[in-house]
Amino acid sequence: MIINGFVPKKPFALKGFLTTGALSLLLFFSYTTFGQSAEAEKNFAVCKACHTIGGGKLVGPDLKGVTEKYDEEWLIKFIQNSTQLIESGDAQAIKVFEEFNKIPMPPNALSDEQVKDLLLYIANDGKVSGSAETAVVETEAVEDVNESAEQLLAELKRDDARNMQTTFVVLLILLLISVFDLVVIRLIKAKWIHIIIILISVVVMGEILFVEAAALGRQQYYQPEQPVWFSHKVHAGQNKIDCKYCHFTADKSMHAGIPPVQVCLNCHNQVREGKITGTEEIAKIHQAVADNKPIEWIKVHNLPDHVYFNHAQHVNAGKVDCNDCHGEVEKMDEIIQVEDLSMGWCVECHRTTEVQFASNKFYEQYLSTHEKLKNGELDKVTVQTMGGDECQKCHY
Amino acid sequence: MKLKIDAMKYLRLLALFVIPLLLLSCNKDKNNPGYDYMGYQDMYYTKFYKAYSPNSVFSDSITNQLPADGAIARGTMPFPLPAGNIGERAASQMQSGAVILNPTTPDEESLAKGKELYGVFCSSCHGAQGKGDGHLYTSKLFPAKPTSLVEAYVQNKKDGEIYFVITKGSISGLMGPHGSQITPDERWMIINYIRTLAQ
Repeated sequence: MIINGFVPKKPFALKGFLTTGALSLLLFFSYTTFGQSAEAEKNFAVCKACHTIGGGKLVGPDLKGVTEKYDEEWLIKFIQNSTQLIESGDAQAIKVFEEFNKIPMPPNALSDEQVKDLLLYIANDGKVSGSAETAVVETEAVEDVNESAEQLLAELKRDDARNMQTTFVVLLILLLISVFDLVVIRLIKAKWIHIIIILISVVVMGEILFVEAAALGRQQYYQPEQPVWFSHKVHAGQNKIDCKYCHFTADKSMHAGIPPVQVCLNCHNQVREGKITGTEEIAKIHQAVADNKPIEWIKVHNLPDHVYFNHAQHVNAGKVDCNDCHGEVEKMDEIIQVEDLSMGWCVECHRTTEVQFASNKFYEQYLSTHEKLKNGELDKVTVQTMGGDECQKCHY
Repeated sequence: MKLKIDAMKYLRLLALFVIPLLLLSCNKDKNNPGYDYMGYQDMYYTKFYKAYSPNSVFSDSITNQLPADGAIARGTMPFPLPAGNIGERAASQMQSGAVILNPTTPDEESLAKGKELYGVFCSSCHGAQGKGDGHLYTSKLFPAKPTSLVEAYVQNKKDGEIYFVITKGSISGLMGPHGSQITPDERWMIINYIRTLAQ
């Protein structure tokens, strides 16, 4: 591999603009609306699961006009504990229960005052005042997102000798010029100058050639542009979703697994707007579901096909943390391959990682090694002792 | 004088060498993984199809095909209840308590595993203690309040009913189906663990 472009993408520039834009919009709307306390809105979050206000029937009835249809006292009782009301033989409650497929409405631990507030909120078609507080909370969350991805990228960039190619070309030009001057033009009389330039360039170019040739076929710092601008920093970092929630075959299969779009929908059925990219990127998921077409993600961590690697073995038996090989994924907006995934890197880990016998059933089968460890024949057991160095483990 | 003109000529020749080299160095395509040695001569990339590689044999170009309709994997039973739309889900959830029975008895090991799985798949929304106060809700990222798993509403339900909700999602559809992510065994471990949360 020689040099891949390494430029942070547009969302970084967009972010600041979007943040301020969203904040001012929020503030604008919060002062133009009116109605009940913010608490009612918060409490209604529970109701939203099954009810709409003027949006049609879901599991439960549409709540538009419900305050006119039934009297307040009955509604308070029903909302607090509908099952109790039905069991007490209230005719109206039974009628509603049967009309909606006999699905009981879960009880709500709300005081009479809270329910009245909630009913006002419903009567007001779900409008609320005093959302300036909520606006502040949301901005904090937005600013959280902005932290340190650039830093991480910059660090990686500095560590990697990414200027090697430019150095190589400059040295090549110098070399050619001095050879030309030495043999053909002869502008500079002192020949030792030519010789020094030629020697230095040959040595340095040789080293660059060696390093690049060793990296040939490796894809360290590969950071392709994905079809959907999905941020691991938002999902794994900020939202603290476990890696295995989406990559759920990591402990069962050789592949960690790319989640099907249906897994995205577990949350994005409700969450239709992101804080960084707005609706644009999330809409791609819904489009993929509607078209019944998978999203063609680009694989970042590639091993040559003559190597066998199994995620399940490393996650289950080896208890290797995801971050050990994939870097600090929870800080990356776009995934970049941090390790070089060379054979030397694999073998290094196999030779130095000590096997954790305790609380790991997998290693119970290695009884003889266990015995040797007890007798003191071995002072430590690494993966290498278990045969982790044998060629055919990975190449066959 | 003549010497100088010659020098210019050679410099031009030199430029002809150098400019293409400079152009070569502009590798701006981020999606190009870089060069390899004999990559397509069966070294780096072999010809067999990998799980996620495109496939010219099937019309939808997917290697990882779904089983044919109606296929049943060895040792498994198809899910007994329909869950297509809200109505079906509601009716099936009511039935599932009687139809689907918990085959496992919790022991220390399976509860520990259940706890781990709960942490991966459930706690983001339902909270580490099952109180419906997971990080996704408390940080206002997910709009609807997740159900508390420790209160009577869920704890009074039969195991089969909870199994149905994990597999096919809640009636309202706010909780999505997790059947593809969690194997049947694991679902029972999680249910056994949820029972211990209420104690």
